[in-house]
Amino acid sequence: MDADRRRPARDRLPLYVVAAAVTALVLAPLAAPGYALLYDMVFVPRQPLTWDLVAPAESLPRAVPMDAVVSLVTQLVPGWVVQRLVLGAAILLAAVGAGRLVPTERRGIRLLAAVGYAWTPYLAERLLIGQWGLLVAYAALPWLVRAALDLRAGRDGALARVVLIAAPAAITPTGGLVALGVVALLVPARERWRRSALAVAGVALLNAPWVTAALVTRAAGSSDPAGVAAFAARAENWAGPLVALAGTGGIWSAQATPASRAVPLVPLATLVLLVLAGAGVGLLRRRLPPGATVRLTVLAGAGFLLASLGVLPGGDAALRWAVVNLPGAGLLRDGQKFLAPYALLLVVCAALGAERLLGRVERVDRDMAGVVLVGLLLLPVAVMPDLAFGGAGRLRPVSYPADWRAVAGRVADDPGGQIVSLPLSAYRAYPWNSGRVVLDPAPRYLPGTVLTDDTLRVGDVAVAGENPRLRELRRVLAEGRPVAATGARWVVVQHHLAGGVDPATLAGLEVVHRGSFLTLYRNPAAPSGPVAPPPARWAVVAALGTALLVVLVAVFSALRRRATAW
Amino acid sequence: MRKALTLVVTGLVAAVLGILALGGLAAAATATEAEAVTEARNASEAAKRAGKQDPYAPEVYGNR
Repeated sequence: MDADRRRPARDRLPLYVVAAAVTALVLAPLAAPGYALLYDMVFVPRQPLTWDLVAPAESLPRAVPMDAVVSLVTQLVPGWVVQRLVLGAAILLAAVGAGRLVPTERRGIRLLAAVGYAWTPYLAERLLIGQWGLLVAYAALPWLVRAALDLRAGRDGALARVVLIAAPAAITPTGGLVALGVVALLVPARERWRRSALAVAGVALLNAPWVTAALVTRAAGSSDPAGVAAFAARAENWAGPLVALAGTGGIWSAQATPASRAVPLVPLATLVLLVLAGAGVGLLRRRLPPGATVRLTVLAGAGFLLASLGVLPGGDAALRWAVVNLPGAGLLRDGQKFLAPYALLLVVCAALGAERLLGRVERVDRDMAGVVLVGLLLLPVAVMPDLAFGGAGRLRPVSYPADWRAVAGRVADDPGGQIVSLPLSAYRAYPWNSGRVVLDPAPRYLPGTVLTDDTLRVGDVAVAGENPRLRELRRVLAEGRPVAATGARWVVVQHHLAGGVDPATLAGLEVVHRGSFLTLYRNPAAPSGPVAPPPARWAVVAALGTALLVVLVAVFSALRRRATAW
Repeated sequence: MRKALTLVVTGLVAAVLGILALGGLAAAATATEAEAVTEARNASEAAKRAGKQDPYAPEVYGNR
């Protein structure tokens, strides 16, 4: 890291060029206009700032404060621009961050780390399942590790940098926990206990919005234990789930796994990576400050343990018990997402292992060392070529049918009350989105509280959601009673989907808009007008304000240290 | 001698990368086309026979 700091900016140019090339290769389809809608990735032209996106009243805060941030940003910048900026920045900064973290004087080794960290199965799988908030945390991780080690070493301005880098990571609960883990493990030093405590407290406060939202929501704190097996790490090929995790893959979903991971030779590539990483550990220990490598290893080991818990003997039973009995333990059920620190350590060590290997080859022949370096640079791409071009075409932008804007406009003209999205289903496969499965966009597109199913279907297993209002709605629909009986103000029926809507369900409603894709009904019996938020939701706003204040203090602190602020 | 050795190593590296990339691309190509369609159809029919939820219904979050 010191080596990186001493380099002139010109020397870092190849790193940025390679990172930009990798980003362009992965996100090439996003050059076309529109929105890439895939699984959990939903962007809309202008996301309304609704209470339910800021502080969900009856569901778990899985996207707090991410949704509030997107709502605020899309008031100024269109959603399609935000999507490209976020995804582009995540991949670019992940690559550059990893390249700059490696303690080496050799440019080629930095490039190896950059390509290796931006072309991991972890990044591919979380991209293909649409969890861009996690990718932001993944990109922040190398920068955060660097800032945390700087703070431990007593460098000026490092405290502000730790907070400023942890802030984007903390837009999701998982990212916030990973950031807190990094800071709590890497920063504490007895001789600088005050700064250490400030850093840990600052990053803990960045987690306050989702923690507060979890405390005030009416949703059950416990989760369906069926989710443990459904979301446990998955084998990619003959080698089993632990080897898949060792290669930074192993997400639960077959659809989010690049098909190339099933190739029988992939475990051998993982073995090569592990051997290189093993060869590089010694160099890392010598080049980082004393104790830093051990702390990084503990962090990576904890991430790996959480990721593998669902497939370890006894681990699955412990996890099932935890998600039922410990409020918030549902966060751990898709444990593979905690693999990010392991992926970072693996890539950094493997890059240093490659440095040792190249050093030996160079003693025989310099040209041959160049060939080996190029080979190692291309290895991640060769092992998983189908991450290129948006996961071999899976990320493809589309335009929302005009119906969506019309329906959002009609609801905005007469605000208030809940909106029911039918047929009940958390995920949709629209013909205008080439049948790709995506989370129902209604809660993010429509200006109001949208009730959409929160049951997650994984194969033939239904993992129950936590929303008590939806349980009531499901009961009404199952009994064949009209949805008007639930007191919802609006009903949106989405056509061209599997599973129709029973006409009896729509009794007593009046059609407000009828389009090819959406029909909007109003319930004349439900009162209109804005609904006052319950006071508990203001606690979430206060937590958001506190997190923002922490960020602002860090910004001012960082600016004060510079001779010029720009 | 060194030149020959470099050429051999270059060939080996290219061959390994080529085999891996071709394998991956072939897997990606078949999995998204014929194989995937057949697999999905078989799984759907099996679920129907067993009276279970179709694992490839559009609203399904994913399959393991």
